[in-house]
Amino acid sequence: MEPTLAGDPCADATPSEGLRDFDALVRQHRPRVFRFMLASLHDREAAENLTQDCFLKAYRARDQFRGSASVGTWLMQIAANLIRDHEGSNRLKFWRRTLGGGVDVGEIGNWIPDQQRSPEARVLAREQIEAIWSAVASLSERQRTVFLLRFVEDLEILEIAAITGTKEGTVKTHLFRALQVVRARLEQRK
Amino acid sequence: MTQHLSSRRISKYLSGDTRAREVEHLRGCETCRGEVARAESAVAEFRAAVRFWAGEPGARDRELPPCPASLKNIWGVYRPQKKSWALSLVLQSLALAVLFAAASSPTVRHAARQAFELYVPVDIVRESGGGGGQRSPLPASQGKLPKPSLRQFTPPEVVSTNPNPKLTIEPSILAPPDVALPQAASENYGDPLGNLGLLSGGPGSHGGLGSGSSTGVGSDSGAGVWGSGAYRIGGAVSAPVLLYKVEPEYSEEARKAKYQGIVVLKVVVDPTGRVVNPEVIRSLGLGLDEKAMEAVRKWKFRPGYKDGRPVPVIAEIEVSFRLL
Repeated sequence: MEPTLAGDPCADATPSEGLRDFDALVRQHRPRVFRFMLASLHDREAAENLTQDCFLKAYRARDQFRGSASVGTWLMQIAANLIRDHEGSNRLKFWRRTLGGGVDVGEIGNWIPDQQRSPEARVLAREQIEAIWSAVASLSERQRTVFLLRFVEDLEILEIAAITGTKEGTVKTHLFRALQVVRARLEQRK
Repeated sequence: MTQHLSSRRISKYLSGDTRAREVEHLRGCETCRGEVARAESAVAEFRAAVRFWAGEPGARDRELPPCPASLKNIWGVYRPQKKSWALSLVLQSLALAVLFAAASSPTVRHAARQAFELYVPVDIVRESGGGGGQRSPLPASQGKLPKPSLRQFTPPEVVSTNPNPKLTIEPSILAPPDVALPQAASENYGDPLGNLGLLSGGPGSHGGLGSGSSTGVGSDSGAGVWGSGAYRIGGAVSAPVLLYKVEPEYSEEARKAKYQGIVVLKVVVDPTGRVVNPEVIRSLGLGLDEKAMEAVRKWKFRPGYKDGRPVPVIAEIEVSFRLL
């Protein structure tokens, strides 16, 4: 069976049908692609640009889509490749930003979803989020991608393997290493 | 009880590398279960934060209009704007108002009058003024005046000295034709203000009527009627030029009342350049008229000339009284 994205309405459709209404495709997949870009780059502007690039590439290459994976997986592949290219061209910039990084880490801590919680709980949640974020920022590109796809996008290991173009075992290894770093950072906070 | 799971094993478990033995252990060991739950809850917080963080731009992008919004064209022909039109109107009105205010201010008007103290009347006709006579012992008798004319060919004669003239010309006096002169109902020529009685040309000389010495009517020397015989400025008559001026004094009453203004006098500048017969045309009162006449009598002019000779000239003088 083909690995598919969970809850993907296009998953059951034939490839050509899934790409026929490209506007609907963009509407459906754009939030996920953008979220992944934003979490990977931690740069809203770059994330928006790369999301646009992702759909532009998909639109231009829509004839080459063979349907070996679902449309969502295919789009996430393009996104992961774009991020890799972007990181390659901006490696120095990225590291400078993450290492210098109090601002970036602090920013995501402000996006605590549930504002109804008590102040103590919010502080705790904020600390956890910042710890994970700083850990994620220190990960390698491959580890981070795997971590985000697994724990933010809730994808299965097989889907991640399809997206990253690696084997299942490799994904697990990357994920394990990423988790080790994240958990170590969380322990430090405590 | 078996040993607790190591940190690596928990990470392996979380990363999906699960083994039956670990699952079994986690079921029984609350400590390890708590460890896994803490890590999962932290990751769940992180997931929620990232989703929440990324949620808004997605929503915003979906609300973008499907087609480019039309923008106001900034290039092209501008229509006249009401605002600038109104501004222009206001500015020009202001400029006009300033001009009017400046022109009507007393200082400017006074300066203008100083520059043109002597009027140049448009009427170029010589002032009446006249006199004459036929060397008669009696004053001129009452009668009608000859018709006024701009040019005198024949002086009026009360007693005809030439009963059979070869060329008859109606006598006239020099005066504007439309001037209003007193008239007497009489067949004969004469002075309308004269006495009833025997016909007489008056004791003057050079023809005419009255006691003067020219061809007019009255006691002066000129071809006109009465008056001083002075000329009006203009035409061949040049204006007198002020040579010496005495500032008028303020009267005590006017000074106390802080009264100021302009007295207009009509004077005759005689051929010697002195001022004679000043008359008040526009009065100010409070003794200022008298002070003005007193000062003007002391003024000296270069007289007005006609045909190269100094002649008496009528002029109007404005004497300005101003408290500093």
